[in-house]
Amino acid sequence: MNHTFLDRRDFLGRSCSLLGGAALASLNGQSANAASPGGIPDLPHFAPKAKRVIYLFMAGGPSHIDMFDYKPAMRKLHGTELPDSIRNGQRITGMTSGQSSFPCVAPMFEFERVGERGTWMNTEVIPHTAKIADKITLIRSMNTEAINHDPAITYINTGTQQFGHPSMGSWLSYGLGSLSDNLPAYVVMISVGSKPGQALYSRLWDSGFLPSKHQGVQFRSGKDPVLYLNNPPGVDPNMRRAMLDGLASMNQERFDTIGDPEIQTRISQYEMAFRMQSSVPDLMDVEKEPDHIFDLYGPESRNKGSFAANCILARRMAEQGVRFVQLFHRGWDQHGNLPKDLRKNCESVDQPAAALVKDLEERGMLEDTVVIFGGEFGRTIYSQGKLTEDNHGRDHHGRCFSTWVAGGGFKEGFDYGETDDYAYNIVKDPVHINDLNATVLHNLGINHERFSVKYQGLDSRLTGVEGAHVVKDILA
Amino acid sequence: MKRKFLLFSIVSLVTGGFVISAEKVDFARDIRPILSDKCIYCHGPDEAHREANLRLDLKEDAFADKDGVTAFRKGDLANSEAWYRIITDDEDELMPPPKSNKSLTAEEKDLIKRWIESGAEWTEHWSFVPPSQSEEKQSIDQFVKDAAAKKGLEPSPKADKTTLIRRATFDLTGLPPTQKEVQDFLADESPDAYEKVVDRLLKSEHFGERMAVYWLDAARYGDTSVMHADGPRDMWPWRDWVVNAYNTNQPFDQFSIEQIAGDLLPDATPEQRIASGFNRNHPSSDEGGAIPEELRVSYVVDRVKTTSNVWLGLSMECSQCHDHKYDPISQKEYFEFYAYFNNTSDPGMQTRKGNQTPVIEVPDPARDLRLKEMEAKLEAAKAKVAAHREKARGGLEKWFAAASAKEKGKPGKKQPEGLKHWFPISADEKDIVRDSVTGKTGTLEKGGKFLHSDRSGGKALNLNGSTAFLFDGWPQYEADQPFTFTGWIKGNNANGAVISRMNSGNGYRGYDIWMQGNRVSTHIIHAWSGDALKVVAKEPLKKNQWQHVALTYDGSRKQEGVKIFVDGKLVEHTVEANTLTKTVKPADKIPFRIGSRTKGANVKCEVDDLRIYDRVLAEDEIAVTKTDPVEGLLKQEWTSLSDSQQNLVFNYYLAKEDKTYQKLSTEESKQAKSVADLQQKPTTSMVMGDNPPDKMRKTFILDRGQYDAPKEEEEIMAGVPAVLPSLPEDAAPNRLSLANWLFADEHPLTARVTINQLWQIFFGKGIVSTPADFGSQGAFPTHPELLDWLAVEFRESGWDVKKMVRQMVMSETYQQSSKVRVNDLEDDPENKFLARAPRFRLQAEFIRDNALALSGTLNRKMGGPGVKPYQPPGLWAEVSLGGNPKFVQDKGDKLYRRSLYTYWKRSAPPPSMQIFDAPTREICVLKRPRTNTPLQALAAMNDVQVMEAARHFAERMIREGGDSPESRASYAFELATARPPSGNEMAAMLNVYQYGKEVFAAEDAKAAKELLQWAGESSRDESIAPDEHAALTMVASLILNLDETLTRE
Repeated sequence: MNHTFLDRRDFLGRSCSLLGGAALASLNGQSANAASPGGIPDLPHFAPKAKRVIYLFMAGGPSHIDMFDYKPAMRKLHGTELPDSIRNGQRITGMTSGQSSFPCVAPMFEFERVGERGTWMNTEVIPHTAKIADKITLIRSMNTEAINHDPAITYINTGTQQFGHPSMGSWLSYGLGSLSDNLPAYVVMISVGSKPGQALYSRLWDSGFLPSKHQGVQFRSGKDPVLYLNNPPGVDPNMRRAMLDGLASMNQERFDTIGDPEIQTRISQYEMAFRMQSSVPDLMDVEKEPDHIFDLYGPESRNKGSFAANCILARRMAEQGVRFVQLFHRGWDQHGNLPKDLRKNCESVDQPAAALVKDLEERGMLEDTVVIFGGEFGRTIYSQGKLTEDNHGRDHHGRCFSTWVAGGGFKEGFDYGETDDYAYNIVKDPVHINDLNATVLHNLGINHERFSVKYQGLDSRLTGVEGAHVVKDILA
Repeated sequence: MKRKFLLFSIVSLVTGGFVISAEKVDFARDIRPILSDKCIYCHGPDEAHREANLRLDLKEDAFADKDGVTAFRKGDLANSEAWYRIITDDEDELMPPPKSNKSLTAEEKDLIKRWIESGAEWTEHWSFVPPSQSEEKQSIDQFVKDAAAKKGLEPSPKADKTTLIRRATFDLTGLPPTQKEVQDFLADESPDAYEKVVDRLLKSEHFGERMAVYWLDAARYGDTSVMHADGPRDMWPWRDWVVNAYNTNQPFDQFSIEQIAGDLLPDATPEQRIASGFNRNHPSSDEGGAIPEELRVSYVVDRVKTTSNVWLGLSMECSQCHDHKYDPISQKEYFEFYAYFNNTSDPGMQTRKGNQTPVIEVPDPARDLRLKEMEAKLEAAKAKVAAHREKARGGLEKWFAAASAKEKGKPGKKQPEGLKHWFPISADEKDIVRDSVTGKTGTLEKGGKFLHSDRSGGKALNLNGSTAFLFDGWPQYEADQPFTFTGWIKGNNANGAVISRMNSGNGYRGYDIWMQGNRVSTHIIHAWSGDALKVVAKEPLKKNQWQHVALTYDGSRKQEGVKIFVDGKLVEHTVEANTLTKTVKPADKIPFRIGSRTKGANVKCEVDDLRIYDRVLAEDEIAVTKTDPVEGLLKQEWTSLSDSQQNLVFNYYLAKEDKTYQKLSTEESKQAKSVADLQQKPTTSMVMGDNPPDKMRKTFILDRGQYDAPKEEEEIMAGVPAVLPSLPEDAAPNRLSLANWLFADEHPLTARVTINQLWQIFFGKGIVSTPADFGSQGAFPTHPELLDWLAVEFRESGWDVKKMVRQMVMSETYQQSSKVRVNDLEDDPENKFLARAPRFRLQAEFIRDNALALSGTLNRKMGGPGVKPYQPPGLWAEVSLGGNPKFVQDKGDKLYRRSLYTYWKRSAPPPSMQIFDAPTREICVLKRPRTNTPLQALAAMNDVQVMEAARHFAERMIREGGDSPESRASYAFELATARPPSGNEMAAMLNVYQYGKEVFAAEDAKAAKELLQWAGESSRDESIAPDEHAALTMVASLILNLDETLTRE
């Protein structure tokens, strides 16, 4: 692996901590005297609109057809065969390529026109999202080349289907550093929908060829919100303090003898760990939130580990300076039983996702926080398996799907991109997954083409080599 | 500036004019990297993106006169167009163009200026020119000292003996030295004392384990398949092969050839085939919707990338979609290289359940032991059944008398003689198919399912197309013996064997009752089809209706000897083979089967009441076979029954009436199934295998690298890039030729690339700091001559790895102190010039191994399947497909194995490894980052694995460290650091101890007991007072967290 560039950065970090004395390093091991929160010196490239991102990732491929991309014409197409002119020879997955029939299925839900612009949304299962229609930009023309989960979810999170590349959060941790002395720059939390469903992989929040300190740190709802955070039973904070005092004095003596600045970094990292032992439980203690907050985020928000509870945590993290929070919600792979399972999933995510936007807005934070809601691809207009009166499935569909974004420099109450009557092909304003990532970087003050690291001889970027572009039309 | 040319000083001075250095400009070191990074993207090998038809990677082009314009004119700045373009203010003419996001620094401009002025000397890219040795220097130290001296750097003094033995022991074995080893070394004042230590360590079998940790990253080794379900696989035999190869010092050329092409070696040994598994370690998928060809191509792409990174130090992967932007590798050359790996026989769609073919069966002592245990259990279960049968005989006649009293007087026909086997299929016996004549039960074949269906109020057997029952120890029947088969069958379009005893591996020798398009038929075969009999009913059975079927055979070996009856009526048949003359006895080990034959041909239909008689039944007798044979017998006198009839009644009685027997027999069947499952699932390791020559897969350039866009107009033949040495003329187009080619004498890369990797292990950083990229975008060597000298040494040593390692660790350079001197950070902050020894944190595996070793609990067992030591709960379930599999932690001594053997699930790797920078092992990694984070602090303080080690470390202090807190702390400190503590260090440890004593003694040692109870599953020496034990555990933890303990100094 090629890290020439990074070695130099590591060295810069060390040298600073030597020059700056015992400047406390941030959680990410970067030197962090008050002026410098980590990150690389030439960032941001220009004045950012947003400081942070909260990514609500619906893993498995939420059905754009049943939530966001509705057309009355679909009702007439229900039960009819998908025309060849629409499929147009495009490849489909091995799960439905053997089907003899591809009957189109109109959503089995009620849709209404909502918001000032009168955009269509499923008001039956995502009524709360419908209510924030005027806050969000709804992109109906997202697209990806991948048609299966593993490659698709790797692609959207790291910008490439190949393994070994950094995730979006890791890029931001590396490029912009942390806003907090006590918390990581990049936090990941996982919750589960109707069933666990498709797998996740640590590569989705891995740092790839960037230093591993930029990995997403997983926070959990249990007793150990960060791995190994708690002292062993019987070891109280005073005992830990006594041990750390001994450790610091012994390490300091070693530094005095051997002179390696890395020892000083280690001393400060142990101190940071000690601070985290109180700051993280504080952060995770949502009990302190007032009742109206739980009411806002909905009935599930009192259940630890639920998506709703994680949304409250995401807001708290945003307040305390976490640069990138990513909530994975699993179980959106509805090959069958879609009407029921989609409803269940929406019950868990609709209210909290909308609440998060409102909550951030009330605190004046929405303007510098990007909120993203979406998955790795959409689903097919045709039924996978048998279409009955009240049940059907849908296969994976990467040609188009819907994602909404809010805050942090995006337009309010705006629709972008259009698909054909079958919600199968894009007819206007396509947004490739890397275009969206480029646009998010733009809002954070980063020119995605100039934000690269040399890896195996190439200037590697989050947004790939195919020439992603910033979607200017959706910028506020 | 007095001397040197430090990037850092430049950076700091650049704003106020910049530094003029007197040092000579070196094209390879100073200029080519600039051209490569800033110019070649548009003026390089990639034809499709070349601007102005100018190449600055080629000498001819760079100096050529193109319509009166020359990029570089030797010694003539004014007429060098390139220079003008670099300094111009005209944005339209400026190079690099502003829109490229590239620009030249003042320092770079100065270098180019001075290079042109001094005559613009041009050399080929250094790594493509074969290495050679100069006469002047003959040791590592000469090269290093010379380079350091040029920078004005003084070498450091030799390290303390304690530092040295600890350094060498960690570097060569990944473990700390023992106290005795340290003492022996300190006591040994002979001049070769250190050499003796090195030789001892090189002989240690831990050497192989240590080297393997590195190689496993390179080989992207893991215990799971990575993609989609990330299911389990067994590649540990390959991992054990690697450890062994390092330990036996297999020459590196052999080591490599066997891993790239071991399967293709003439008369390849099992070990060589296992070695070839190197290129089966890549991620594979079983995702339902995936397109197999897309996956297969991705596997080949991975093999090209990994092989070229590891052995060539080339980023060949960059040419998959287009010509390489920087190095002279065209897309066509990429696919020539790709062709070597494109003929492999493993499929695109692989499995989430273990290994995908091709595989090799490997010895697995652990499995053998488990099998033995299970066989013993089976024997015990059998013995219980047998004993119970003996006992049950006693009650039989009494039951018969009572049962037959009920039957007497009822109408009924006499049962035909000669019933040898009867499978009644009873609802009374769950999950069992029993031969009620012999009492034997069949074992369900792996992958099958016991399914009942219904027939006229009773239960029938539903064979679902993948289910079969196996009966061992079946009597042999010959073709001259007559038989009758009867039974009930219901099928839609059944194809396959209803019953069989046949060996498809030996010309299908044996016999079966066969369904063919729902037609009843039979095979009686010596060797298909030249010596065989096959008769098929003309009409199929009715669809999805139960029909009674009989087939008789008279032993004549002729088609006329076969009759088929459906619902009691003789039906017409056709003859498909009538050539039988010889024996039809299959080998003894071939089981009798219901539902399939050996192997395959599983039938999908329902069956019931299957019988085999040893004679030809007449038509009126066949009608009787529809009735219960036992009921018929009940009408007779006990004494009038033949032995086999008595047996039939007995088995009927056991199955119907004897609950104890049923329980015992179910247990026997369960045990038999476990044994059969394990027997049928030998331990394997995945290996490489090519399609046979007549089925070679053709290779085409894939347009833009896309699997579905082959450019079929031109077939691509296997070959190597033209910039590298050519292949021998007679080289076969296979991987073996490729592997041999890597070790050609004139090959410029393999030796350099490999020696650089070894150097990196022992000096913390490669001579080339980009170990996977020796191309023009890679780093220039800090010591080019040394690299070449070592490369030639390596090749000429016969690729002797241990010899080269020995040479490195015996050097004075290696033995220097790592102390950072006053000016060191300013003069050489990155320690490029090695005027001091590098000092760096131990890698993840060795941090854990060190704690285990110091605590005295390290389990030094080598090899075998991966083990699952402690990890926080839920880590697998929260990411895995459908929430499964869940992590099941191992118990006992498996918790204390070396970390090399920790089970590596690649979608959720062991967290204590990942936190300390271990990669996920999804792709080839030749260099781990080294970070220093608070998460590492938390893991080192609070991981139960480490705290358990601390608890044992404390016991060890008490056991071996004298009686006072001082002596105990001192002992432990010395074990960890190989040196005694200073006064301050002792005071710090005692403070922790004393504070701990106070806290832990309170409330009847409540906190102490909590800590000791929590810290691991192993037992505690209860004779130690809990407060004392807990306080020393904290001291032990303190020592395990010391920077010095975590660092190789």
